[in-house]
Amino acid sequence: MAVALKIENLHKSFKVGFIPKKKKILKGISLEVEEGEIFGYLGPNGAGKTTTLKCVLGLIFPEKGSIEIFGKPHLSLQAKEKTGFLPENPYFYEYLTALEFLNFYGDLFFKRKKERKAKADELIQLVGLEQWADLQLRKFSRGMLQRIGLAQALINDPSLVLLDEPLGGLDPLGRKEIRDIIVKLKKEGKTVFLSSHILQDIEMICDRVAIIHNGQIINQGSLQNLVSEKILSTEITLSGVDTKELKGLGECFSIHGEKILLKVFEDNKIEKILALVQEKKGKIHSFIPRTETLEDLFVGMVKKR
Amino acid sequence: MKIRAIASNTFKEAIRDRILYLLLFFAAVTIISSRILALLTVGDRVKIIKDVGLASLSLFGALMAIVMGTSLVHKEIDKKTIYTLLSKPIHRSQFILGKFFGLILTLFMMLLFMSLIFLALVFSYTFTIDWNLLLAIFLIFLELSLITSVAILFSCFSTPILSSIFSLSFYLIGHLSWGLETLIQKINPGPVKVLIQIIHLLLPDLENFNIKTEVVHNLPLPSHLFIFAPVYGFFFTLFCLTIASFIFRKRDFI
Amino acid sequence: MSLLKEKGFSPLFFILILLLSCGAFITTELKIERISRKKIPGSSIIYIPSGKYLKYATFGYSSLLADLIYIWAIQYYSDTSIEERFKYLDHIFSIISELDPHYLDPYEVGAVIALYEAKNPDLSLQILDSGLAKNPQQWIFPFEAGHYAQLVIKDYKLAQHHYRRAMEIDGSPPIAKRLYANAAFKVMDFQTSWRTWLEILQTTKDERIKKIASNHLYQVKAAIDIDIITNAIQKFRERYQRNPIELSHLVRAGFLESLPKDLDGQEYLYDPSKGEAKPPTIPWKR
Repeated sequence: MAVALKIENLHKSFKVGFIPKKKKILKGISLEVEEGEIFGYLGPNGAGKTTTLKCVLGLIFPEKGSIEIFGKPHLSLQAKEKTGFLPENPYFYEYLTALEFLNFYGDLFFKRKKERKAKADELIQLVGLEQWADLQLRKFSRGMLQRIGLAQALINDPSLVLLDEPLGGLDPLGRKEIRDIIVKLKKEGKTVFLSSHILQDIEMICDRVAIIHNGQIINQGSLQNLVSEKILSTEITLSGVDTKELKGLGECFSIHGEKILLKVFEDNKIEKILALVQEKKGKIHSFIPRTETLEDLFVGMVKKR
Repeated sequence: MKIRAIASNTFKEAIRDRILYLLLFFAAVTIISSRILALLTVGDRVKIIKDVGLASLSLFGALMAIVMGTSLVHKEIDKKTIYTLLSKPIHRSQFILGKFFGLILTLFMMLLFMSLIFLALVFSYTFTIDWNLLLAIFLIFLELSLITSVAILFSCFSTPILSSIFSLSFYLIGHLSWGLETLIQKINPGPVKVLIQIIHLLLPDLENFNIKTEVVHNLPLPSHLFIFAPVYGFFFTLFCLTIASFIFRKRDFI
Repeated sequence: MSLLKEKGFSPLFFILILLLSCGAFITTELKIERISRKKIPGSSIIYIPSGKYLKYATFGYSSLLADLIYIWAIQYYSDTSIEERFKYLDHIFSIISELDPHYLDPYEVGAVIALYEAKNPDLSLQILDSGLAKNPQQWIFPFEAGHYAQLVIKDYKLAQHHYRRAMEIDGSPPIAKRLYANAAFKVMDFQTSWRTWLEILQTTKDERIKKIASNHLYQVKAAIDIDIITNAIQKFRERYQRNPIELSHLVRAGFLESLPKDLDGQEYLYDPSKGEAKPPTIPWKR
C-alpha cells in the first residue's frame, strides 16, 4: 500500500508573549497515512492538531522533520496539486456567490472556462448546495460554509484530502451528511485525513487513528487494535427488586420511581442479578453491555499524562 | 494564469469596499468646492481649479491606495481566507503580485471616476481639453501604483493601523523631499551627510510624478520626465514587491 | 524554469532582483534630479481670497485665517525674486484687517512694507489710518503715521494732524504732544504751537522738559515777534524808502505799538543794513 502522507519527527516552536518566550508545540510528531484510508487525528485542545496540519500544507514552516505527500516533498507543486484542504471555522470571501467562489479556485487549476464550470456544478451537487448556488457566501449558515469549504477542497480532485474539524458546529443531520461525503470519497479511492474532537464520528468512519497530546503522538494504530472488544461493564435497568438486596452486586446509578439503573462490572454478578430479578418476579427493562469506546481510551490516555 | 485569477478576485473584492466610495465622495466634494474656492480668489480662477483638482486626485487616490493596500492583505490573514489559497499550488509571491494588480486595477477605476468629474469641471470653465491635464493624471496613476506597493509591503508584517500610518508617512515624505535636500545642503560633509543622502535616495521621490506647476502655469513639460518617471516607478514598485514577497515567503500563518 | 517552480524561488533570486531594482531606481532618480524644474515664485498668490466673498467663507475661523495670510504675506514680500509683488499689497492687508481687525502687527508691518519696499507712503498712511479706525485706543498708529509724514513725506501739516490724534489718546507718550507742537511751529501755526508748549511747560514735572518747553516757547515768541517786527519794517520801508536805523524808530513812527522783547526780556538784535531782526540768544543755548 502506498503511503499518502508521511510525517517524520516534526518539531515546531512559536515565540509567545510580549517578551518572546519559545513555546514548543510539536515535539517530534511521526505518523503514516496509507493510501485509500480514512485517518483520524485526535487530541485535546491545544495539543497541536491544527499546527500539524498547517505544517503539512506549507502554511507553517517546521524547525525539524520531514513531510512527504505521495513520496514528494510537501512544499512541491506536485504535492500541492494532489492535496485539498478545509480549514477549521472557515471564512470565505463573503461578497462572492457560491458558484463564483468555486470558479475562483477553479481558475487556479483549470484554464478552460467549460472545465471550470463543469467541475463547480459537480461539486455543488456533491455537497448538496444546488439551491443556494447563487447566494452570497456572507448569507451562508455555518453548516453551509462547511459544505462549500469541502467543495473547494475537492476542486482539483485531490488524492489526499485534509480536513480540520470538518464536523465542528454542525447539527446531527449536518454531521451525517458530511460523514457520508467522506465515506464516499474513500470509495472513490481518495485518502482522507481528518482531525476532530467528536469521537463518536471518528469511531464511525475512521480506519486508523493517531492520538496527539502535548505535541506528541501517544498512540497510533487501527481502531480495532486500539479499542478492545472487551466488555467493560454492563448497564441493567430493572424494577421490582429492593436496592438493599442489590448491594455488592453493582453500582446503583439512578432510581426513577420503580426503575433502578445498575452498572455491573463482573460477569458472575450479572447472573446473580438475573436470578434475583426472576426470584422477586421483577422486570428487566434494558440490558446494555458497554465495550471500551474511543472516548474511554482517549480520556484514559490523556488523563495518564 | 494564477496571478490573473487572484488579481480579478482582488478587484471584485476591493471594488465592493464601501470606504472607497466614501473617499470618492469626499474627492468629488473637494473638486467641486474648488469652484467655490475659485470664486474667492484674487488671481486666475482656472488655475486654482486645476491646482486643487490635481492635488485632490493625488491625495484621495493615495488615501484609497493606502486604505485598500493595508487592509486587503491583513483582512485575508485575519479572516483566514488565506489558508485555502496558500494551500493550493501557488507561490506566495504570485499571491502578492495578484493582490497588487487587482488593487491597481481598482485604483484605475476610481481615478477614472474622479478624473471625469475633474475634467468636466475644467471643461465647463475653459471649453477646451487640456491634454497636459491627462498627462498629469497619468503620472498621478504611476504615483498611486508606487504607493500601493508600499502599502502592501507594510501590510505584510504589520497591523492595518500601523501600516496605514507608515504608508501615509511615506506619501508625505515623498512629497517633501525638497526639505531633505535643503537639510543635506546645510549639513557639514561627513558620515552623517552621506547617511542622510543615502536615506534620501532610498525614500520614494513622489515629486517626480508631480507636474502640477507646469500644467497649471502653462509651462513647457519636461519631456525627459516622461521616460524616467515611469522607469523609476517601475523599479521602485518592483523593489517593494520583492521585499514583500521575501517577507511573505517564510511567514508562519498561525 | 520548472525546477525553479518546484523548489520555489531561492533567497538568492530575491536578493538579486532586490539589488537590481534598487540600483535601477537610484540611478533613475539621480537622472531625474538633473532635470530642471521651474519653480514659479509667487504662484501662491492665486490662493489669496478676494474680499467680496470673504465674510461667507470663514466659518468662524477668521482670525486663524488672518494669521495664516499674514504669515504667508511676510514670506511673500520678503522674496525679492517675485516680480510686481506689491500689486495686491493694499488688498492683502485690507483682507487681514477685515478678518481680524484687532490684530495689530499687520497694520504696522504693512505700513513699513508699503513705505520702504513698495515706496508708497500714501498707502502706508492709509494702512495706519485704518488701524486706528478699527482700534481707536492704539496711539501707536497715528504716532507712527506722524513720523512717516514728518520724516519721509516731509509734510508737517499732515504730521501735525497725526500727532494731534496720537496725543489725544490716553496713554500716549508725552513726546507726542511735543512733536505736535513742533510740527505746528514748522507750518507756522504759531498760536497753536505757543499754546501747546505753554501747556507742556505748565503740566510737566520733568525739569528737562520744562527747559525744552521754555526754549521752544522762546523760539515761538521770537518767531511771532520777529514776524511783527518784520511786518513793521516792511511798512517803514514803503513809507521811507529805507530801513529804520533802530527798532525803536518803528515805535516812534507808529508802526509798532511797543517794541516786543524776547521771552527773557531782552531786546531783539537788529541789522539796519539788511533790515533784519533776530533773537539775541539761540534758544538751545539758554
